Amino acid sequence: MTDTLTIRRVSASPQAYIPLEVLRSGTPTYAKLVDISKCIGCKGCEVACKEWNDLGIEPTANFGSYQSHQDLSPNTWLLMRFNEVEIDGSLNWLIKKDACLHCEDPGCLFACPAPGAIVQYTNGIVDFNQENCIGCQYCVSGCPFDIPRFDPNTRKVSKCNMCVDRVESGLEPACVKTCPTNAISWGSKSDMLALAEQKIETLRKRGYEKASVYNPAGVGGTHMMYVVPHGDHLEDYSLPSDPTASPAPMTALGFLKRVGAYLMGFGLLGTLVHFLAYGPERLDEHEEPRA
Amino acid sequence: MNDQLLSRFSFFERILHWLVGITFLLLLMTGLAFAYPALFWMTAVLGGAESARVLHPWCGIVFGLGMAAMVGIWLRDMFLSSSDWEWLGAVKYYATRQSTRVPPAGKYNAGQKMFFWVQGVLAILFVISGVALWFPDVSGATVVQWMRLLHYAATLGGGLFLILHIYLGTVAYPGTARAMIDGTVTARWARHHHPRWYKEQTGS
Repeated sequence: MTDTLTIRRVSASPQAYIPLEVLRSGTPTYAKLVDISKCIGCKGCEVACKEWNDLGIEPTANFGSYQSHQDLSPNTWLLMRFNEVEIDGSLNWLIKKDACLHCEDPGCLFACPAPGAIVQYTNGIVDFNQENCIGCQYCVSGCPFDIPRFDPNTRKVSKCNMCVDRVESGLEPACVKTCPTNAISWGSKSDMLALAEQKIETLRKRGYEKASVYNPAGVGGTHMMYVVPHGDHLEDYSLPSDPTASPAPMTALGFLKRVGAYLMGFGLLGTLVHFLAYGPERLDEHEEPRA
Repeated sequence: MNDQLLSRFSFFERILHWLVGITFLLLLMTGLAFAYPALFWMTAVLGGAESARVLHPWCGIVFGLGMAAMVGIWLRDMFLSSSDWEWLGAVKYYATRQSTRVPPAGKYNAGQKMFFWVQGVLAILFVISGVALWFPDVSGATVVQWMRLLHYAATLGGGLFLILHIYLGTVAYPGTARAMIDGTVTARWARHHHPRWYKEQTGS
């Protein structure tokens, strides 16, 4: 349990884009595995999250769903979403544990302009440091899962931090601890991937032939993974089928910024060179008027 | 006669110029700070990172209104005539100080007119993309990403033109900057740089 809070990546810094192979020094990374088929919808995890992170109660109203709140908020980092979907002629109650997935390639961190406002530890956890946050909300646009939430009063953005303070002390996150059916497992990423394979095997024997693990490659894999019974209905679970940490405009922006830095530098240099070549223009005392 | 002073810019024009100039410089510095982590310290010009993020859009509003007023007062002087196109064709002689080979300019030469049009178009792009970035929850993630690209591209264009504008207006052509300070230029300067305007002003 040593070395859990060594920082691997820092937003708006040269460390943000260092390839993982270089950053990794063989330290284990953690992962949560959410087995949707075992969730009974008790929302104990929501309560545990609120309690451990001291997030306070948010009033809600019945909006025709079993869901507790309509959306995540700066004080609601975990929301169990309940989607009612018809699959093969029968009603299915699809549950998604909506919270930060802790991407291996975090789109939020890449989008962030404030040095140190978002960090990724070597153990895989992506964490927001509110004291460095400037409230621009670029992380919200960078997240392919629509997770970070902006608080207009504090002008800071918040999200699930995987109970980093518990993990640092060798404990599992609060939601894992409280789950009564062991629908959420906690361990090293490789152990959780192996466990996911077992669970998928079991689900397939039970007739869920399209069961799959959700660990999308477009964000380099995630540190919260799902075992999805209906793996061919990802969108119905509100899980994007092809999320990316580097959407086209952001890749173009990164390229243009590099080119732009040279152009502005050469622009300044160019005026200096021109000045050295031609100097200040001196008007001839006896110049003949033209035109 | 050559030491005679000609009035070039009114008090209102000078106020507008510096309003737009100062806000643009503040916007450029804080904007570059947000674009380049190595320049993040420049957020200090608007009181640090968090307040720079709050004040940048408000500065942008003042800048946008100033630009709109500038377009309003200068637009009719800025349309390019046929001699302006000849001037643009001869810009290399202008840049290499062979002024006898450059067609005589009126109150504004074609380069200054082009600067007006480029900055005018960029200001529209700045304001559109800036408003979209100011209200990201209304814009949505994809629009924010494209508007960041557009906002930066406008910054790059505006920044490059600003370098040129300051260089030409100060050290390259002594006697020019005072037009935006006390509002006057010397008759000799006017006769050299803007012969047709000089003629209109002096009748000689």
